[in-house]
Amino acid sequence: MDSIMPLLDGFNTAMMGWNLFYCLLGVTIGMLVGILPGLGPTTGIALLLPITFSMDAIPAIIMLSGIYYGAMYGGTVTSVLINTPGEAASVTTCFDGYPMARQGRAGTALGVAGIGSFIGGTISMFGIVFIGPPLAEMALGFGPPEFFALMVVGLVMVVGLMGKSLLRGLISMLIGLSLSLVGMDPLTGNLRFTFGEPNLVEGLDFVVISMGLFGISEVMIGMEQAMHLGALPKVGKLLPEREEWLPTLKAIGRGTGLGFLIGLIPGSNSVIPAILSYSIEKKLAKDPSRFGKGAIEGVAGPETANNSYCGGALIPLFTIGIPSSPTIAILFGAFIMHGLTPGPMLFQNNANFVWAVIASMFIGNVMLLIMNLPLARIWGKVAMIPPAFMYPGIVIVSVVGAYCTGNRIWDIWVMIVFGVIGYIMKKIDIPMAPIVLTFVLGKMIENSLVQSLIYFYGSPLGFLGRPLACGLLVVALVIFVAGAIAGIRNKRGLLADDIDA
Amino acid sequence: MKRKLSLLPAGLLAISAAFSAFTTTAQAADKYPSKPIQLIVPYAAGGGTDAVGRVLAESMKNILKQDVVVVNKTGGAGAVGMNEGLRAKPDGYTITMVTREVAILPMLGQAPFKTLDFKYVGNVNVDPEVVVVSSESSYKTIEDLISAMKANPGKLKFAAASAPNFYGVQFSIEAGVNFVTVPFQGAAPAMTEILGGRSDFGIYNPGEIKAQVEAGKLRPLAVMAEKRVEGLKDVPTFKERGLSIFCGTYRGIAVPPQTSDEVTKVLENAVAQAVKDPKFVEFMNKSFLGIEYKNPADFKAMVEADMKVLQPVVESINKK
Repeated sequence: MDSIMPLLDGFNTAMMGWNLFYCLLGVTIGMLVGILPGLGPTTGIALLLPITFSMDAIPAIIMLSGIYYGAMYGGTVTSVLINTPGEAASVTTCFDGYPMARQGRAGTALGVAGIGSFIGGTISMFGIVFIGPPLAEMALGFGPPEFFALMVVGLVMVVGLMGKSLLRGLISMLIGLSLSLVGMDPLTGNLRFTFGEPNLVEGLDFVVISMGLFGISEVMIGMEQAMHLGALPKVGKLLPEREEWLPTLKAIGRGTGLGFLIGLIPGSNSVIPAILSYSIEKKLAKDPSRFGKGAIEGVAGPETANNSYCGGALIPLFTIGIPSSPTIAILFGAFIMHGLTPGPMLFQNNANFVWAVIASMFIGNVMLLIMNLPLARIWGKVAMIPPAFMYPGIVIVSVVGAYCTGNRIWDIWVMIVFGVIGYIMKKIDIPMAPIVLTFVLGKMIENSLVQSLIYFYGSPLGFLGRPLACGLLVVALVIFVAGAIAGIRNKRGLLADDIDA
Repeated sequence: MKRKLSLLPAGLLAISAAFSAFTTTAQAADKYPSKPIQLIVPYAAGGGTDAVGRVLAESMKNILKQDVVVVNKTGGAGAVGMNEGLRAKPDGYTITMVTREVAILPMLGQAPFKTLDFKYVGNVNVDPEVVVVSSESSYKTIEDLISAMKANPGKLKFAAASAPNFYGVQFSIEAGVNFVTVPFQGAAPAMTEILGGRSDFGIYNPGEIKAQVEAGKLRPLAVMAEKRVEGLKDVPTFKERGLSIFCGTYRGIAVPPQTSDEVTKVLENAVAQAVKDPKFVEFMNKSFLGIEYKNPADFKAMVEADMKVLQPVVESINKK
């Protein structure tokens, strides 16, 4: 427990004068970039980085890291209100957060997301303080073969998200996997499915696709039905119903652990814990059919996991000097700019700095909670705006957001095309969650499989020599087989639903 | 705090400047630059090119007495932004930060332009590549590493920060060695492989390895440059060890070819002055980015020389 004293010292520094102000400024900016689709924490930090150049290191890093974890709170808002993810990690929140808002529970969705984010964020800070460094060293042993196996587990669990018909789910999965192939081949750099279009070389953008599939298609469907919509439901209360507390807290607990552990893995990103958490919650739920229709655990779990991920991902940065995600890579740059070298020497040479930053994150999370709970009520009112004003608003926000992702018109068109695709999919009742999930997983699976096979000089048997990877693959197999058997028992055959319908 | 407050007037200034941009097109005869200049950075915010672009823009702004606004136009591994910069109105109000990809992409057939289509204004940064191994590795010198590769051709593993990896291919051709390339997206995950003991060596630029070298986790073996690098003074160059391998990345400013000489001259002087700006120098040194100014003629010559270096590398990649 020799971390306590330096941490208290850190609080002392973080509470001093302007540091507190910069913490507030950072988390507020973070909230805002999180809320605006297309602008995420990566861009937010990059844009403010030059401004911090003339500041002292401590307030500068306090502010920049505030943007980083603040964005995780903000991303939820648009997901819940307008079915358009504010940033990548909040895509899964659209699945159940938006249905909750339609049921008049926007306030509850945002409230639970805020509480979960706070718990996840705070507990992962304790993780940094007490168990971080040894875990970071262990995470170095987690290489491409293990990563591949973990992603396969994720993919198998996505099968569980497929809604009522396995066939329709598989169609959606295959679309997602195919889309993930567009762009540069990770092994040779050759171009695939780009049709000579430079804009496709880097593949399609995850957030832009999601904005189209969820947000724009929702507007199209809504315009069809707008005339028939009755009075919009109330904001509802902030806190869940009494019987929902236990499952919600359990989801928050699982999300915390999951997010933290995945944060330790180099090469991960904040979408992965959200996807895994959502899949796990659906698997564990007594009645999985509630998912996609406003299940509170489907909001609580992923929203907690992405905040907890933020804390976990700082550990490799602080202790071994490895940025585990693109956003952390920019923070890494900020450290260097301010004359601090992330890595094992950081705690020794700049202990005061590290503890002040960690302490500021505790404070920042409290600030975010205080900001978010009352705000949730206000945001909830946004859900009550009549469609005639709401839909143009969604379109404007989405178009601006899509443009912001790369400052090119191209992304706006991509979003609109996926809006139409999403509309058609809703009409023919093909679930959309598997598309975006397999799109993310597909790239990672391909990358890590190629890397693993190169390591094994081309032999897939190499996985047998990696106990952890092998174990995870066995888990994937078990989930798959168990799912298949359960499916047959329930007479939910491949085509059953289609025939019944 | 003062810094924060100054944002507001700056914002108002930008708005009024943008407004005047609409109203003053008729007075185009004004002395250049009479309105804000847009600097296209063809990569996402937060990367090395973005950092160089932003600090350069800041310094140029003070010299030109006009805002220089960085706009990240991403896509096509840089091809989209560079192409847009090349096709922009050649009035000097849209300038582009080009990188080594300006030579690479057309050679790979992945760009809708030719390298020498651009009018090169000034180069600001050159970063040579450094070969590193884990500090726990048994390879103490570059000779150790090369002889190990010669003894076990195709066995040692290179954790590459991108695919295809031009540095790796060039190293393999010029040192006459054979190894396995494991491709990663970026230097950070690649270095993790070396730290985790799964890959044997890597080739990255000084800014990327700085933290790990200082922490004693990575051992730099040799630099692919003419002379030793600031900050890595103990590390020999390949040249010192009898191998003429020169390889690295560079970044500079370019404009569309029809840009008038008058305007180009103003920009050239601004870039030349900006690289001496203490703020620019401080930032580049802190970030471990090498400052190397080249005037238009030298910049173009460097790009042309690089195209010759890249030719065999690209051929070898296309053969595979």
